[in-house]
Amino acid sequence: MKRIFIDPGKCDGCMNCSLACMNAHRAAPVPGTAPDPGATVEEQSVYTLDLTDPTNEARNFIHADGKGGYLPLFCRHCARPECVSSCMSGALQRDQAAGQVRYDPEKCAACFMCVMNCPYGLPKPDQLTRSKVVKCDFCVRLAAGPSCVRACPTGALWIEEVAADTPDLEDVK
Amino acid sequence: MKHVIIGVGAAGVAAAKTIRNLRPDDEIVCISTDREVHSRCMLHHYISGGRSLESLNFAPDGLFESPRLTWLGGVTVKRIDAAAGLVHTDSGGPVSYGRLLIATGAVSAVPPVGALRTAKNVFGLRDIADAKAIAQAASGGRRAVVVGAGFVGLDAACGLLELGGKVTVVGTADSVLPQQLDEHAAAVYQARFEAHGCAFRLGAGASGTESDPAGKVTAVLLGSGERLPCDFVVAATGVRPAVDWVRESGIEAERAVKVDEGMRTSAPDVYAAGDVTGLSGIWPNAVKQGEVAARNMCGQSAVYDDTYALKNTVNFYGLQTLSVGNLAPAGNDLVLTREDNARYEKLVIRDGVVKGVLLQGDIGNSGFWQYLIKNKIDVSGHLDNIWRLSYTRFYGLEENGEYRYAAAATV
Repeated sequence: MKRIFIDPGKCDGCMNCSLACMNAHRAAPVPGTAPDPGATVEEQSVYTLDLTDPTNEARNFIHADGKGGYLPLFCRHCARPECVSSCMSGALQRDQAAGQVRYDPEKCAACFMCVMNCPYGLPKPDQLTRSKVVKCDFCVRLAAGPSCVRACPTGALWIEEVAADTPDLEDVK
Repeated sequence: MKHVIIGVGAAGVAAAKTIRNLRPDDEIVCISTDREVHSRCMLHHYISGGRSLESLNFAPDGLFESPRLTWLGGVTVKRIDAAAGLVHTDSGGPVSYGRLLIATGAVSAVPPVGALRTAKNVFGLRDIADAKAIAQAASGGRRAVVVGAGFVGLDAACGLLELGGKVTVVGTADSVLPQQLDEHAAAVYQARFEAHGCAFRLGAGASGTESDPAGKVTAVLLGSGERLPCDFVVAATGVRPAVDWVRESGIEAERAVKVDEGMRTSAPDVYAAGDVTGLSGIWPNAVKQGEVAARNMCGQSAVYDDTYALKNTVNFYGLQTLSVGNLAPAGNDLVLTREDNARYEKLVIRDGVVKGVLLQGDIGNSGFWQYLIKNKIDVSGHLDNIWRLSYTRFYGLEENGEYRYAAAATV
């Protein structure tokens, strides 16, 4: 499975990753701007992204580390995801083969137990309607992969292949 | 290996999913009184008409259609014969098992007040049959008295109000959701319910009932002396583990089925998980227990160690609240609050360790609080900036890129 790797030492807090994430999940092109010919909504130029539209929310975020540096936070798509364990609607499921936690907004009942249960505080209710969960989807619709990684100018983010989850057979008696 | 799972709630489905992942070739038989897999946490959405029965199904797509998995729905277990490894049900012959999981959940516990236990128009809210009965009783804008102002009571009230019913919620505590909220946060929810037409009688529990000759409750009497006329009653007064036949089968159980840290019962190869164990009443813990039981049923040595259960989220009328830990301060506890027109937030800190957190209005990215509380992480170095605390102050990376906490527990 693939995972987004992070070198916090290389992060200078530019937030290109957050902009790229917003752009990849934008609702629509900004009215009056020329859409890129042939591009899907997710592939529209970041220059036509409406930063004030609350539906264009980033799934990742960057915090100060308290020591003058920055820490970018991205969903880990954990092998044992606490968000999935807490999901009472079945909206959050881990695709074991892909190693990704998928979210189905149609199934979601907006209980937000996942928000409570992620030890790293990644999921959040959507800002506008507070009826859906905003969470990294690994840009699964885009052939090129996660937009944040492609947008990082400092090399703080990259994709690495990590061992697929074995079904934990190692400790079988 | 043949695994038999009794119950298709949170724990049962989590176990079935885990066994299916660990042992794709093993046989799984699920037995349930329920004919449909449904999430108990969404029953109020069914009552309100907001969700169909099918959309209450929380199981992963295809789980119950997977090979070597059989589901006997509408079948109730009567007893098990642990010596012979057999499950006896109310239909068909006995079912043999190699490993057995009891995940039968809980049943509504109705207090012996007036005719609440016996009347035909008093309903718990525990499963889809309850929800159907309540929705039917409510048709035509009938008057409901909901006894209990906890989660299930407010769920029921919310669903009924959306149907256009007249609802009065009765609670013994002075505020709603007393387990999860302080009085300030509770008052905000109460006001929202009242704005939607709900009436409350708090601080005085139900003390009796009046019935008609047909045996239907026509009024609920309160300790205060008030009489609340009604067409039906929802008894949201708690649950008790469904252990009757377990006890009769010779498996050690008192109020709940006794399990060890690996979710093993007193009988060999018999496990239990979820509400039937009485260990916690919340979804994530039932899932964890189901997963631990399943791993052990597959021959691993898993331990149920993430037992912390003082945690919940509340979402009614577009207002979300996160509540973790104990919000009642004691002694020299540091209590911090802040609020504006959309938010109310509270922290209770004892000796540098967060004991409780309540966030109302904006709960985004707040999951780290649970970790800090349950692992007793020292935050005394962050008190000057506590409202801006996040996981970044405890940031650590595993080699495989997963996060971990780079802070040690203080206790």
